[in-house]
Amino acid sequence: MLNDLVELLNKNIKDVDAEVLTPENGDHSILIKGKNSFHSAIKFIKENDSISFNALQVISGVDYLDHIEVNYMFANFDKNKPHTAIVKVRLEGRVDPSIDSIVDLYPAADFQERECYDMFGVVFNNHPDPRRILCPYDWEGFPLRKDYMSPKTYAGMDVFPDDKMNMNQREYIVHEKAEVARKKAEEKAASESKTE
Amino acid sequence: MASQNPDNYQLSATEPNVTTEEALKSQLMTLNMGPQHPATHGVLRVEILTDSEVVAKAIPHLGYLHRCMEKHCENLDYRGIIPFVDRLDYLAAMNMELGYALTVEKMAGTEVPRRAQLIRVLVSELQRIASHLMAFGTYAIDLGAFSPFLYAFDEREKILRLFEEISGARLLYNYIWLGGVWNDISEQQLERISEFCDHFEGEVDKYNNLVTHNKIFKDRTCNVGTLTAEDCFAYGATGPVLRGSGVDWDLRKVDPYCGYEEFDFDVPLGAGEEGTIGDCWNRYYVRMKEMKESVKIIRQVLDKIEDGPIMGKVSKVLKLPKGEVYVRTECPRGELGIHLVSEENGKKPYRMKVKSPCFTHTSMLPFMAPGQMIADFVATIGSIDIVLGEVDR
Amino acid sequence: MSTSVETGSFKDYFRGLYQGVTSTAKGMWITFKYVWSHKPVTIEYPEVREVLPEKARMRLYNDSQNCISCTNCANACPVDCIYISSVSRPKGEDIPKTSNGQAIRKILTQFDIDTALCCYCGLCTTVCPTECLTHSHDYEFSQYAVEGFIVDYLDPEVKQWRDRIVKNP
Repeated sequence: MLNDLVELLNKNIKDVDAEVLTPENGDHSILIKGKNSFHSAIKFIKENDSISFNALQVISGVDYLDHIEVNYMFANFDKNKPHTAIVKVRLEGRVDPSIDSIVDLYPAADFQERECYDMFGVVFNNHPDPRRILCPYDWEGFPLRKDYMSPKTYAGMDVFPDDKMNMNQREYIVHEKAEVARKKAEEKAASESKTE
Repeated sequence: MASQNPDNYQLSATEPNVTTEEALKSQLMTLNMGPQHPATHGVLRVEILTDSEVVAKAIPHLGYLHRCMEKHCENLDYRGIIPFVDRLDYLAAMNMELGYALTVEKMAGTEVPRRAQLIRVLVSELQRIASHLMAFGTYAIDLGAFSPFLYAFDEREKILRLFEEISGARLLYNYIWLGGVWNDISEQQLERISEFCDHFEGEVDKYNNLVTHNKIFKDRTCNVGTLTAEDCFAYGATGPVLRGSGVDWDLRKVDPYCGYEEFDFDVPLGAGEEGTIGDCWNRYYVRMKEMKESVKIIRQVLDKIEDGPIMGKVSKVLKLPKGEVYVRTECPRGELGIHLVSEENGKKPYRMKVKSPCFTHTSMLPFMAPGQMIADFVATIGSIDIVLGEVDR
Repeated sequence: MSTSVETGSFKDYFRGLYQGVTSTAKGMWITFKYVWSHKPVTIEYPEVREVLPEKARMRLYNDSQNCISCTNCANACPVDCIYISSVSRPKGEDIPKTSNGQAIRKILTQFDIDTALCCYCGLCTTVCPTECLTHSHDYEFSQYAVEGFIVDYLDPEVKQWRDRIVKNP
């Protein structure tokens, strides 16, 4: 079914350059390479006659360090044609990778795109309300990126206070182990000096 | 908050006050509902702009219960994630575990023994009843009726007690493991479930007499917060919200998992007996009818259950091949989808995204709210039955 | 908002009134039945205590005599609330055995569990090779400060509570 859809896409939309990904394990998916015609491709997916999808379920970003992949899970809530599809786009660049928003096609994308921006820093062009959603509005950084380091302080508060995270307890273990190792070394040295 | 980084903080609703008389008359009043409001069922904050008592705009602010669950999962092995998945939707933890277990099993290609599969169906349907009882009780509280809550909790307590006996915990079970279930269910417990089923069908009728067909309740919920089927498709709504709008869509029927295809049950739909199709009353009534359907499934499980092992073959340190899957399951509140990406021989998931039904339903609030009275808005929030643990993850 | 009362005729008004009275009376009848026919289900804690089921997962208890310091539990813990440290036994000393016959090759010097962090998932008890780490039935351990939740299981006091907190003493 995905093959048919990709054929239709390549035939009807200019420069969409779609292909089917068939990994050894897991679900097959559609990769759209032509990012400029992404919006029209999704419009085609929604509105064509033969294989259409009336609902967007989720937008899931994955950070692969060299590119950020955005997965769109579509479904058709029709008992007679219950098909699903995963549509992927790959965005290069760490600073503000961008893709067209599809809120005008699927209102469900509103919160999902905001979450994707919040977690991965993917900028959705023409999004009506591009704010963060789960993190505070003035949070810095994009937490689900693989190279994310959380800030030490936020709004004057410690993000990881020692007393709350049992950091002193953990240090105690390390300290204890070091102490034991030091004692051992001393004993060993003492026994060696005795034998000499 | 706003003073620190104005670029990132563009709250369109709270602009500086204008004090000319004309402006004051045309100005909308901002009302903060939440984060600690009993009707939001958790820590949801909704900023409501009201024109007298009519809601002009509702802006949900999420994230008060954000626990970085997806980030945590990237640093945990596959078994250690189960307690975290429990805490997503803490009122339907069994269904969450089932969704997660099915995802990992699909990736690993694990076969689940028949007894374990039946026990999974059994506990997840019991959990569905418990979750709907909670939805029923709190919805009645939202609308000003207190005693139905106590009746609902009386029955829910029986289910939780049973879960405590089989799994050891009342709310966050860690019971459905990868490849099977943790503990077996004894014959006495199965008998007790059977007794519970006989007793419970009468209880649902009692709730219907008590609340569903009550005139005051119907006046509060009929023709309020109406969603057409097209609205539900556009916003991706699932579960009782979608079925309340008359769309015949239940994953247990459409895309059966975990052996649901062998059970005979109906999918209750909103038919607009009172008011219009897709209003609050229909969504609520779909839940009441679903409880009876769950009882039907449980009876069939009790007939079919047979002796056998309860754990499949799962290696001690579970390593998944490279790939990604997206698995959907039908939870009490809608479709739970888990998108799992794993690396070659990965002990930990590379990425785990949870599609939570409540998050989707929360995104419908700005659409449903305009034009409603504030009291009706409370009824609307209650009827979509959100759990904030799942919204914020 | 368009109820029958607002939009309808006289007839609708009286029908609504009738429905209101009858449906409320029905509900009140159910409530009154509860007054006479149902016994109270509330348990009067602390005078009456519920008997917990056998598998109930409450506060963790470690029998440090049987612990072989394998750190399986600390590795299995999803929230990292178990702190273990141990030293190897000096050469020539007798190696004691646990109750199920495993050799204790290391001397346990620290076994702390932060019960404030613990999520009571039970994963640590399933991996324990000597079954010395178990969930007890003790659920009354409120403390005045967070530090009090860190339980040191090498403390002799723990053994004094043993009768109270261990499931099968």
